[in-house]
Amino acid sequence: MLPLPMRYFLLSSCLFIISCSPAYKKMQVGAGNAAVLAKFKPNFTVALYNTKVDVVGNHLSGLLIIKKMPDSSTRMVFSNEIGFKFFDFEFAPNGDFKVYSIIKQMNKKSVLKTLRKDFELILMEHLENKEVSVRTKDGLMYYIFPQQKGYNFYITDSTGDNLIRMERASKRKTVVEATMHNYINGIPDTIDIQHKTFNFTIGLKRIER
Amino acid sequence: MRKIFLILIIVATAATSNAQYAGYTAIADFAKFKLAFAAATQKTTSIKSDFTQEKNLSMLSEKIVSKGKFWYKKESQVRMEYTQPFLYLMILNKDKVFVKDGQKENKVSTKSNKMFKQINQIMIDCMQGTALNNPNFQTRVFENKNTSLVELTPVTKGLKELFKLINVVVDKKDFSVTSIQMQEQSGDNTILRFTNKELNATIADALFFIK
Repeated sequence: MLPLPMRYFLLSSCLFIISCSPAYKKMQVGAGNAAVLAKFKPNFTVALYNTKVDVVGNHLSGLLIIKKMPDSSTRMVFSNEIGFKFFDFEFAPNGDFKVYSIIKQMNKKSVLKTLRKDFELILMEHLENKEVSVRTKDGLMYYIFPQQKGYNFYITDSTGDNLIRMERASKRKTVVEATMHNYINGIPDTIDIQHKTFNFTIGLKRIER
Repeated sequence: MRKIFLILIIVATAATSNAQYAGYTAIADFAKFKLAFAAATQKTTSIKSDFTQEKNLSMLSEKIVSKGKFWYKKESQVRMEYTQPFLYLMILNKDKVFVKDGQKENKVSTKSNKMFKQINQIMIDCMQGTALNNPNFQTRVFENKNTSLVELTPVTKGLKELFKLINVVVDKKDFSVTSIQMQEQSGDNTILRFTNKELNATIADALFFIK
């Protein structure tokens, strides 16, 4: 019989190992085809969204315009209702990210990194060329795309007809959950991005022009 | 050769600094204009109008148009109610700002929020005609048959970051603001156009009330 402190150490070590293992490793290997995701990729020819951002007790609202440019890059410009621009981003087809402008208060490495990753998750660019593994859990299909750090999950129902949600995850936990609903001509009417590790949500509701 | 280049640069610089607006000529007597502007705006105690806002994103070749109702009451009360294609309310009352987007209400002080401070200042300056005396801008005035164009070029660092210049067009007969064009350094701009103007109409204080 091991002494109590040793037993406690072993038990906590086991728990630590379990909690550190990627969440998807606990899922069953599935036999899905990531090609089903293509139909959920938003076709942002040009779309205007009424946008609400809540970040640690601060509320921000405005208009986000998303446009596919002739060079296949995607531009996102966020301004408030009165016309003051908060940021202007470009997502290039090769995965590059360019900041055309951003207000001083938001111009922080961590903010830029977070916004870039959140928007890349919903843009679903070039998933067809990326390494993917497929898992199943609770009747859902998990299409898992490894990132430089962590993973992007696209979760569909078992038939692949509905995109239930998207997730950004670290090795241990879900960092962001996002949903896209009511596609009209390939453009989602509602997009919600919710951070799980701190109070930060982005809500987009399409405006007909 | 160097001399030719030098002459070309001087000519180009002179041409730029004298750049004018199509159909407009520089006014001959700035002091006279300033007096007339001040006298007219002195008589204006309130403005009620419709407005159309056009945000032009040059690199995206996109235009975002919104519409709504505008109220101004002396000394420094402004209410802008956007009704299309979204609902948004902004009330400026002295140094307080109230905004309502959808169901969410937010109260800010212009003392702590630089952006709203600038919006407040520009709006009030334009309505009261005090833009001409604002030391934060370098001013030039042009005119055509019916309107005068006041060109405000920011000289302070904070304003320069936000705007390249602001052009305010006023009606010559009553000096009321017809449009405000805010040009950003990026080439994008926002134009506010005021129509169906009613000067000195009775406007209830309740419209500007901030809890």
